[in-house]
Amino acid sequence: MEPILSIRNLTKRFGRLTAVNQVNLEVYPGQVFGMLGPNGSGKTTTLGMLMGVVNPTEGEFSWFGQPPNHQIRKKIGAVLEHPIFYPYLSGQKNLELNAMIKECSPDAIPRVLDMVELTDRRHDKYKTYSLGMKQRLAIASALLNEPTVLILDEPTNGLDPMGIAEIRELIKKIVANGKTIILASHLLDEVQKVCTHFAVLKKGNLVHSGPVGDVGKGEEAVEVKASTENLNEVLLAFNGTASINRENGSYLVALRDGFHSDDLNRFLFEKGVVASHLLPRKKTLEKQFLEILSGHH
Amino acid sequence: MLHLLAIDLKKLTSYRTFWIICGLYFLTLGIGAASGMELLKWIANTFEDFGSKLNINRIPIYHFPDVWHNLIWCSGLLKIVLAIMVVISVTNEFTYRTLRQNVIDGLSRAEFLYSKILTNVLLSLMSVAMIFIIGLITGLIYSPTLSFEALITDLEFFPAYFLEIFFFLSYALMLGLLVQRSGLTIILLLLTPVIEAIIAAKVDNFAPGLLPFFPLRSIWNLIPWPFPRYAFREIQDYVKLTDAAIVIAWTAAFNYFGYLKLKRSDI
Repeated sequence: MEPILSIRNLTKRFGRLTAVNQVNLEVYPGQVFGMLGPNGSGKTTTLGMLMGVVNPTEGEFSWFGQPPNHQIRKKIGAVLEHPIFYPYLSGQKNLELNAMIKECSPDAIPRVLDMVELTDRRHDKYKTYSLGMKQRLAIASALLNEPTVLILDEPTNGLDPMGIAEIRELIKKIVANGKTIILASHLLDEVQKVCTHFAVLKKGNLVHSGPVGDVGKGEEAVEVKASTENLNEVLLAFNGTASINRENGSYLVALRDGFHSDDLNRFLFEKGVVASHLLPRKKTLEKQFLEILSGHH
Repeated sequence: MLHLLAIDLKKLTSYRTFWIICGLYFLTLGIGAASGMELLKWIANTFEDFGSKLNINRIPIYHFPDVWHNLIWCSGLLKIVLAIMVVISVTNEFTYRTLRQNVIDGLSRAEFLYSKILTNVLLSLMSVAMIFIIGLITGLIYSPTLSFEALITDLEFFPAYFLEIFFFLSYALMLGLLVQRSGLTIILLLLTPVIEAIIAAKVDNFAPGLLPFFPLRSIWNLIPWPFPRYAFREIQDYVKLTDAAIVIAWTAAFNYFGYLKLKRSDI
């Protein structure tokens, strides 16, 4: 399958600071690609280069197999950093202007406004909108010309929990339509909930890239509680146990590779121990993310 | 091309400041251009106070063909108003960061610049049309005898007037692109004649031949001051092609510098 986006050795230097360093990346159709990284790790600069507003120092990239140009950008819906509109224009007029720039029909405006639930406020000036409404208008604008690729940079930044939930629902709706999405965020939870693939940037370097499904794989840990006095010894006797920690009245058993919670459960049962609490703990993206970051000093 | 003009007009036509500035400009242009006789009466009264008499009917400021050159020269003084509007229009795009979003949405940087240049062309053409209509009306009212020949004489000042306005708006646009902040740009715009005059005075000492090539000097030369002719002095009542060439070269340079700046910067 042809990648939608292919990045080769992309580098951006601002004076002595290297904001993005030799990044190689490919995004395929249908992926929901999460770009992770702490603040200032080069996510927005990378997206800025991909959208033609930052001139790369070195390297190249291609959209849909073609070298970048402004006509291709019309097919991509993008919101970088925060929503940008003309404050003195109404939401409706801002979208009309965007439709002119993207050379698409303004007929889609009622539909996208409806999708982000801004139809009632469409004739109000943009500057009167709340932050959540601004973010939603930005997503509406990105969806105007039915783009095949959507780039969202911190779409829930600065929103209250309800706003975050609204945007997340919206993203899920868009994903269901089969669009490719590139989502930059430092909210790991968000990425784990919606993304199929993710990449981690640190100080401009790409330090990891792979499917989100892989995250839970690898070693597992199990929380165990049972009303047996010598539970500690029993657990130690299990040959899948790598280490044991006591944590808030329960034992946290780290398992060796190839052993799972059901193996431990069976073993305990055979030893005549009935666990009152047995909870496998999968590694979260957050944990993996921190591991990846700490592994690259 | 028209598509790009439509984009820029869409941004401006819902912007109240645009209507206020343009309204004031065209209003002042209209009233100012039509009130030359009032000015002459005032001058005549002042003369009377000093004991001499001035027959204002013998000063043919509104007679064909004088009216064209006179009106165009006076209207040229107001172009700063329009230039400030252009500065606001372009620096807003930086303040609101909408230039960035325009490019993200699929406008190329060159297209963005074209859209602004096309608006400059439109504003210049509207100024020309306005002055032509006022000139025609006042000329028809005040000219004692009407002859078609007198009416079409000196019309070459209209292309020159267009060049003058477009030159200055191009300069304002370039300055806005370079400085990116409206206040500072407007101050620089207002100081330009002063700065140029100071440099010209120095240059005049050792290379006076260079003076016609100074930008503001070149538009000054393109449409010379017409009124000394009423004090029995010889004036240049035609447009010199060399002056026009210098103005065109500067205009092209301003727009090209603007393009270079836009192309190279991260926005």
